[in-house]
Amino acid sequence: MLILTRKLNEEVIIDGEITIKVISISDNQVKLGFEAPKNISINRKEVFEKVKESIQKAAEMKKEIPDNIKGVKPNKI
Amino acid sequence: MKIYFEHLGEIEFDDNLILTFENGLIGFEHLKKFVLIKTEEDIFYWLNSVERPEYCFPLVGIRVIDENFPIEENHEAFAVVILNKDPLKITTNLKAPIYINQDTKTGFQKIIDNDKYPVDYQLFVEC
Repeated sequence: MLILTRKLNEEVIIDGEITIKVISISDNQVKLGFEAPKNISINRKEVFEKVKESIQKAAEMKKEIPDNIKGVKPNKI
Repeated sequence: MKIYFEHLGEIEFDDNLILTFENGLIGFEHLKKFVLIKTEEDIFYWLNSVERPEYCFPLVGIRVIDENFPIEENHEAFAVVILNKDPLKITTNLKAPIYINQDTKTGFQKIIDNDKYPVDYQLFVEC
């Protein structure tokens, strides 16, 4: 893993087009700002992992179609 | 094009129905080409990989459960469904919707940065 030291408001650039800026620093938290082309997706890793797991499970469970869906209605938000 | 889908059997479809997902799906980034299939009696859509027909993702149109869900211009929003024999245990992933544009035949999946939308939203409730 490449490790760089950055101060408040300093930036890192990846591949000439993705920039990451240190916006604020507190005791145990840093706030980062990202600028990247629209096709680059940026996510919190733990959320990404949770989504990935759920999509994999959907593929595995594809055959578990209920025999009938009578007596239920969509759970509207 | 004619493909034997493990789940749906042999299906013949026009090549111009193939949807391109430039970035694939989350966790399935290598899958770029899909067909979206729905039979009349079925309430779910099936997003089936053309490249790997054994991969199939049940979807539901998000409008059925949330009329105010974040939209993308000219796209329809779908949620990936985790099926279950018990309808009350079926969940949908509202955290990472799939947006499909039927005019350009393209689609993408993105994560919504809002705690309001969970990865396991219960699809049905008792009447």
